[in-house]
Amino acid sequence: MSAAELPRKEANVLKGHEGAVLAARFNADGNYCLSCGKDRTIRLWNPHRGIHIKTYKSHGREVRDVHVTSDNSKLISCGGDRQVFYWDVATGRVIRKFRGHDSEVNAVKFNEYSSVVVSAGYDQSLRAWDCRSHSAEPIQIIDTFSDSVMSVCLTKTEIIGGSVDGTVRTFDIRIGREISDDLGQPVNCISMSNDGNCILASCLDSTLRLLDRTAGELLQEYKGHTCKSYKLDCCLTNDDAYVTGGSEDGYIYFWDLVDASVVSSFRAHGSVVTSVSYHPKESCMITASVDGTIRVWKK
Amino acid sequence: MDADEDDYVFYGTPIEREEELTSRKKKAVAEASGHLRSLPSWKQEVRDEEGRRRFHGAFTGGFSAGYYNTVGSKEGWTPSSFTSSRKNRAEVKKQSIHNFLDEDERAELEARSLGTSSQFDTFGFTAAEVARRQAEKEQQHRQSVIPGPVPDEIVLPAAQSIGVTLLLKMGWRHGHSIKDSRASSLYDARREARKALLAFSSDNAKGQFTDYESGDIDLENVEVQSANDDFQSSRSTPVYVLNPKQDIYGLGYDPYKHAPEFREKKRSHVSGKETGVRKVLSIKDSLFGLKSGKAASGFGIGALEEYDAEDEDIYTTAYDLEDSCVQEDEETSMDHRKRLVWKEEGVLPGFRVASTSDFMLERFDPPAIPKDFVPHHKFQGPLDIGYQQGFPPPPEIPPPEDNNQKILIEGVATLVARCGKLFEDLSREKNKSNPLFSFLSGGNGHQYYVRKLWEERQKHIDQRKPALDGKSSTQKMNAESRGQILGERPLERSSKDLSMPLGSANVNLQFNLSDTFTQPSSFSELPEETKPFKNDPAKQERFERFLKEKYQGGLRPTDSGGVGLMSEAARARERLDFEAAAEAIEKGKSGKGNILLNQQFVEFSASESLQFTSGGLVQGKNTQSEDLSKKTIYPRREEFPWRPSSILCKRFDLIDPFMGKPPPPRRAKSKIDSLIFMSDSVKSSKVGENVSANKAELSVPQFSTHETNKDVDNRDGKDEIEVENVERPVDLYKAIFSDDSENEVEASNVSKVDNPEKKVEVAETALNRLITGDFLESLGKELGLEVPPDVPHGINKTRTSTLQKETAITNAGDMNVFPVENKSSSSPNVSGKISSNQGGLVHQEIREENSHKDKTIHGSASDGSSRYMQTSPPDNKPGKVGANRTMEKEKKAKSSPSHHHNWSDSSSSEDERDRKRYRQRGSKSTDSYSDSSSGHLSRSKGRKKHSSREKRRGHRKHSKHHRHRSRDSSRRHSYHASEKELAEAKREKRKRRD
Repeated sequence: MSAAELPRKEANVLKGHEGAVLAARFNADGNYCLSCGKDRTIRLWNPHRGIHIKTYKSHGREVRDVHVTSDNSKLISCGGDRQVFYWDVATGRVIRKFRGHDSEVNAVKFNEYSSVVVSAGYDQSLRAWDCRSHSAEPIQIIDTFSDSVMSVCLTKTEIIGGSVDGTVRTFDIRIGREISDDLGQPVNCISMSNDGNCILASCLDSTLRLLDRTAGELLQEYKGHTCKSYKLDCCLTNDDAYVTGGSEDGYIYFWDLVDASVVSSFRAHGSVVTSVSYHPKESCMITASVDGTIRVWKK
Repeated sequence: MDADEDDYVFYGTPIEREEELTSRKKKAVAEASGHLRSLPSWKQEVRDEEGRRRFHGAFTGGFSAGYYNTVGSKEGWTPSSFTSSRKNRAEVKKQSIHNFLDEDERAELEARSLGTSSQFDTFGFTAAEVARRQAEKEQQHRQSVIPGPVPDEIVLPAAQSIGVTLLLKMGWRHGHSIKDSRASSLYDARREARKALLAFSSDNAKGQFTDYESGDIDLENVEVQSANDDFQSSRSTPVYVLNPKQDIYGLGYDPYKHAPEFREKKRSHVSGKETGVRKVLSIKDSLFGLKSGKAASGFGIGALEEYDAEDEDIYTTAYDLEDSCVQEDEETSMDHRKRLVWKEEGVLPGFRVASTSDFMLERFDPPAIPKDFVPHHKFQGPLDIGYQQGFPPPPEIPPPEDNNQKILIEGVATLVARCGKLFEDLSREKNKSNPLFSFLSGGNGHQYYVRKLWEERQKHIDQRKPALDGKSSTQKMNAESRGQILGERPLERSSKDLSMPLGSANVNLQFNLSDTFTQPSSFSELPEETKPFKNDPAKQERFERFLKEKYQGGLRPTDSGGVGLMSEAARARERLDFEAAAEAIEKGKSGKGNILLNQQFVEFSASESLQFTSGGLVQGKNTQSEDLSKKTIYPRREEFPWRPSSILCKRFDLIDPFMGKPPPPRRAKSKIDSLIFMSDSVKSSKVGENVSANKAELSVPQFSTHETNKDVDNRDGKDEIEVENVERPVDLYKAIFSDDSENEVEASNVSKVDNPEKKVEVAETALNRLITGDFLESLGKELGLEVPPDVPHGINKTRTSTLQKETAITNAGDMNVFPVENKSSSSPNVSGKISSNQGGLVHQEIREENSHKDKTIHGSASDGSSRYMQTSPPDNKPGKVGANRTMEKEKKAKSSPSHHHNWSDSSSSEDERDRKRYRQRGSKSTDSYSDSSSGHLSRSKGRKKHSSREKRRGHRKHSKHHRHRSRDSSRRHSYHASEKELAEAKREKRKRRD
């Protein structure tokens, strides 16, 4: 994929959220997307047609993150009400509420089999919740972080968390190891590369850092955008050729993965771009912003 | 013998034979054991050990003493209980002998007591008692007229007191007064005369009041006369005591000592009563009289008292005082005369009043008043009312008849009082011609006006007084002087001219109030740019308070300024920051490197700005030097064991790596722990610093804190550090196959280190270890690795025993901090001492070799860790250790294989955790330039979380170190040098590896 194929054209604007949109996520196949925001709702969209499908309301405070199972049957969401909500997509009902975080929950993810949910909280912990049992207790609490955990990623065998304490910690369930990569800067968001070998970490010194997961080496740093106080998402394109991320000035940046040059940057939103999500297959991207809109970008 | 007995006469008691005694005893025993058991207790008889019954007396129990052989009674015997509570105090029981006496015994006892013999029984007590007894006795003997016991009053003593007896012998008889016959004859004659007079009066008139009164007077006169007669006639034997004691005062007490006039009244009163003369008793008299007398006037008038019912109502108070006074005066004068007469006669019989008295009342002249003395007090206060207070109030004047004028005067007075003298003058000018206002200028009603004016002013002052009072009390001390006392900064206004208009002054005041109080000197000079937390005013405020607390004493509220809102961890972190900042400031104050200081502060602020919106970001991580060295340092990778829960593994569809192992016991999560040990660490690290560089390390009390160890390591065993940076192949398998939980392994390790002899006792664990060791060996061979053979621990003993004491101390010091680590850190010390550094070097070598092994293993086993080896190679040594040194070490290692085994054994027996720590220490070694303060910082930081994660302390320390280093400019140079060297070494190593 060349730089020309980057999604730079605005295809749709998804409006409906009142107030800031804090996260926007494609589903597994990329046909739908979910968004959540300060208006305490989760919304399901068809980004390609620009249609708002459903609204999920139950959260008591802002919803900070949402994730959907690979079979699109369940949602998981979390937010300022310290709870993790486990939704049924079709009915829009909350199946379960996982309580246990002592503070706001920043991020949440399903595992591969959608059997476990791992949430990352401001209470400096990662908590794993069992979706299959009726127990509301976490099945695992990882509290080795020394500051708020901002983001979580799951692989088949690992749980990876990024924290404000500057570390990206990989918890390998298979061998029972915790690998801590200290970046020296508060980590805002982590994102896995599609081949699973690298982690892109967004740090609060306005730098994205690409880490080699196996060695823990810093492969590249991407600069140019502004990221100092907001939780800004970053991700790689689906072919891992470019790195993309939002900026606090409303811009979207594309960097070349290898040489870290800014391939493209354009103003996408009127305000802080909080979230970016790249389509799993196509050259399509959605961005969410504090201005309350979600924009769909295509090439 | 029996036959002989009859013939002899025996005197005394025959001595009983032994056999008889024993037989009787036997019998007694048999009886006791036999039927006594069947008998109820009260039928049993008491016998002594000889089997004899004791006869207590026919009427005192017979053969059984007490109540059926007990000391109790029918009701039982309960010991008295003692209870005393706060409310119910137990009475102090005083036991006397009478409690234990029977009645007859008591009588006996009393009979023994002393009594007055009847002969000297002046007061008749004993006689009365005797008489009473006698009467009782008589009553018992025969029936008396009065049934029942005789009342005491009736029984009179038959005995006469000795005085009476004497008098009787002198011819006195009962019912006769003791006086000579002449007096008595006179008295008799007078009595006759009185009788005749009475008879005459009763005949003549019909008992008229006046007559009766006059008769009374006569009688009185007669009595007086008779008294006089008495004085004249028989001086030697007074008929009566002149002043019989009739009052209730103590002997010699004279209530009228200083007020003789009342005495007269009293006397007259009493005498009046005595003579039965009905006089008009004034209320005043009774009022001035005694209390008892007063009471008598109102109450206590008995039926027998001779009050004429008609002539006074006892409860009336409407008596004319004047009248009674006059009457009394008359009477008292008379009494006085009488008294004077009596006085002339002498106070006491046989005494005369001296004509000239030596006694002179000493008199003091009043002090001479100075000529210029003004007899009124001047108040210093602002009461501008001298003319009101100073002058005596004008006399009260009745208001003028004209009501209109009165109102007018009053109104003007009120107005003048309120508005001042000016108004008076004005109105006077105005109404000069008006006759109504003539009072203003001394005309009609002027006096009244003056009075009224005075009154009004008085009122006015009273209203104003509260306000004035406060003012006047502080008048002398003005605001400036007070401010000086209290350390206030003088206000602008007071330093300027005082004639400033009031409004502007007020504004000024408001403006100045905000910074009225001068700051404490220690911090007042803190310039703006040295405020490290400028961005966060709240934090800056807290910082300043912190400084105050640090450098100044005094009481302060513990929880203020939003500190309470912060979490404990955040507070601790902030405190550490403050400490660092305060230290920096101190350094800046000490004079050197002010620019640097400022720079540091800038950094501080910069780091501050980076604080994420979330809570406890570790602040100040990115100082400038950190930025410089970031690329080389970050990202830093560390590995720790982590145990996923089995259910998590299940849900992730993975095999639990810790399957079948008991869950690790949770470590105590206590912040108190860390706080307690924090001080220790600080202390120890400081001590470590003070100790001279190479010698007395061992004397340093080794709290097994990282800091001390590091200090020690830095000095004598830098070579050791890199060695620790080793991953060994056995770990993983150990982790998998070892049965022991981590803690158990650790504990056993401790015991091993501590006490090699104890090994036997912990044979189980050792066996375990051996088995695993064997297994691992075979496994290692299978994998084509060289696994060090397991050497018996006996060899270890020699080494460890030397360390025993030391490690014991360390273990005692802090169990949380993995005592095995101590061993590793302290062992080189000892070896260095004993075998001149040989051991240490060897030690390193082994590690070095092991590390090589590791690499190969990790290449096959776990790719992650092999990568890791690359990133943090074992030769991460500080600058002083050069590459050539490692070469040297390698040679040495080859030359001494026995040591090699030794050490590999000991190290292999350590579990993976310990090795982990070595590694961590390795990472620590890069920043081995820590000093005490940084150590302190990092330590407490690391502690703030779960103590099981102490391993990561190293890492945290790392970041802290950098921050500190950036601040500590003096060390910077060396640091960079070491950095370079480090990089060099790294490169070299890589080359070698390739």
